[in-house]
Amino acid sequence: MLIGVSIIVFALIQFVPGDPVRLALGTRFSQETYDALLERSGLDQPVLQQYFTWSGRALTGDLGVSFRSGEPVTALILERLPATLTLALAAILVALLIAVPLGTLSALRPRSLVDRGATVLSQIGISVPDFWMGIVFILVFAGTLGWLPSGGYVPLTEDPWGWLQRLIMPAIVTGVVSGSVITRFVRSSVLEALGQDHVRTAQAKGLPARQVLSWHVLRNALLPLVTVTGVQLAYLLSGVVVVEIVFAWPGLGQLALQAVQARDYPVLQGAVLLFALVFLLVNLVVDLLYSRLDPRIARR
Amino acid sequence: MTTPADPGPGRTVPSTQPAPQTVTDRPPGAGSDTAAGTLRPARPRWRETLGLLARNPTALIAALVVLGMIVVALLDEQLAPEGPNEIDVGARLQPPSPDHPFGTDDLGRDVFSRVILGAAVSLRVGLIAVSISLVVGTLIGLLAGFYGKWVDDVLMRLMDMLFAFPAVLLAISIVAILGPGLTNTTIAIGIVYIPIFARVTRSSVLGVREEVYVRAARSVGSSDVRLLARHVLPNAAPPIIVQTSVSLAFAVLSEAALSFLGLGTQPPDPSWGLMLSEGRGYIELAWWIAVFPGLAIFLLVLSFNLLGDGLRDVLDPRQRTAMSGGRQ
Repeated sequence: MLIGVSIIVFALIQFVPGDPVRLALGTRFSQETYDALLERSGLDQPVLQQYFTWSGRALTGDLGVSFRSGEPVTALILERLPATLTLALAAILVALLIAVPLGTLSALRPRSLVDRGATVLSQIGISVPDFWMGIVFILVFAGTLGWLPSGGYVPLTEDPWGWLQRLIMPAIVTGVVSGSVITRFVRSSVLEALGQDHVRTAQAKGLPARQVLSWHVLRNALLPLVTVTGVQLAYLLSGVVVVEIVFAWPGLGQLALQAVQARDYPVLQGAVLLFALVFLLVNLVVDLLYSRLDPRIARR
Repeated sequence: MTTPADPGPGRTVPSTQPAPQTVTDRPPGAGSDTAAGTLRPARPRWRETLGLLARNPTALIAALVVLGMIVVALLDEQLAPEGPNEIDVGARLQPPSPDHPFGTDDLGRDVFSRVILGAAVSLRVGLIAVSISLVVGTLIGLLAGFYGKWVDDVLMRLMDMLFAFPAVLLAISIVAILGPGLTNTTIAIGIVYIPIFARVTRSSVLGVREEVYVRAARSVGSSDVRLLARHVLPNAAPPIIVQTSVSLAFAVLSEAALSFLGLGTQPPDPSWGLMLSEGRGYIELAWWIAVFPGLAIFLLVLSFNLLGDGLRDVLDPRQRTAMSGGRQ
């Protein structure tokens, strides 16, 4: 799997029509710069050898150098990684804060007003373009109301309050979309858990409703929730790309887009590879967590 | 990486798959005139499906909105009061008024006209891109699900690899290689959504291929092509149809996102995503430039999603919980 992913990422640069180094350098450059870059990128070698050199280096954390700045790609990525991870984690937190109460409430009272409202809300959340919501948020909360800054990023260590202020809007915008998807899953898995025999037994033997809910229902509904949250966390990284642009959030998405605009293919390759790695990693963690949480799976 | 709708490659357990639509699976009231449905499967009947869909008010409204958008897109130039690029420097950044219902942008262009003309771009990209993913993905899913074994392993591994990349990022990378522009954006979006069609088709085929009617057709000597085209595909179709509607929503969103990032439609052509990014700089001065195109995207995407939900209720009731929503 990992090999396949690395081949796809590697192939990116091979499919570029023309000479990627020449394209990246533009019109004015000296032959020496060109030769040096070509040699460093290894693009003058046969394809197979290129792949092995590239993947071998990638394994040791060397993703080549930027065509633009000459900086190591790994350093550029590491510089951006914390901002993206912060946003992704904050967003998934927002998503769960929306999804768990809303999904549970609507499952407890199916077809009620709350349920219908939640369904409508989640449908809206799935359909709304996140970048547009971001712009509207900026208009309302940064412009008209003036409560929050319209974008940017300050490290937590320098200015915790400023960090939080700038995190709120992008986290909500990214989280609402995932939250809407998760709400539907929470609703259906709580509904399913509610219909199970052991829940009926618990109710029949007269346990308080609260205890039935927390001990018998939510515990069982937790399993699908872990899966879908993991999948959403991975997808969320995709949404982050656009939201980062709207809020001038200096993360990996912004780096990837800048790399595209500057035809800086090694940086793009690095960013894409990292996103794919995170996706695979998240899925692996979900699988492991799943068997930890559900002893039935571990025993099989 | 397994989702409730898909047991993942390598595991072929047809019994746990959602069963195909047979006569007995139809919702009560749907009516079934072929009671002896053991050998002859019930195909989704169009008139019946549409009738059921029409009884769902939300889906009906969504279908009407989509239809309305298509009409707007077809009539674009007759409907738009002004050309998309009629610049009127004297009327820059005008707020909405009877003359300009959605106001004017920084070059004095009528936002209402541009929103109308943008409908054609969004719908065209959506339809072509989804056609690409539908044809390629369904074919891959059919082959993987029907033949199983190494065909399944190879094809689905390939799909998993494509699936490992975030959709927007994969589309951005493809556009980065092919170069920005509407055609390349369409191709990129088409490629990105191939795996989801392959998965949905595969898991649906797994449920169908061991059915009595397929085995019966095989035993009387039907060729593989005939089996697939006449018996497997028609009966595996409902989830694919639902996925098509939902994917149209994602494709429209993706086009808007890519154009917003400056990789899709190029200026001065009107596209909702591009208008949003142009209006972004003026958001505090002239909110209408960005807000109306965004509303248009939202409305179209919402309608495709609601239509997908309605279709799912009618065509594929068992998948309602398993597949609900999967935005990528």
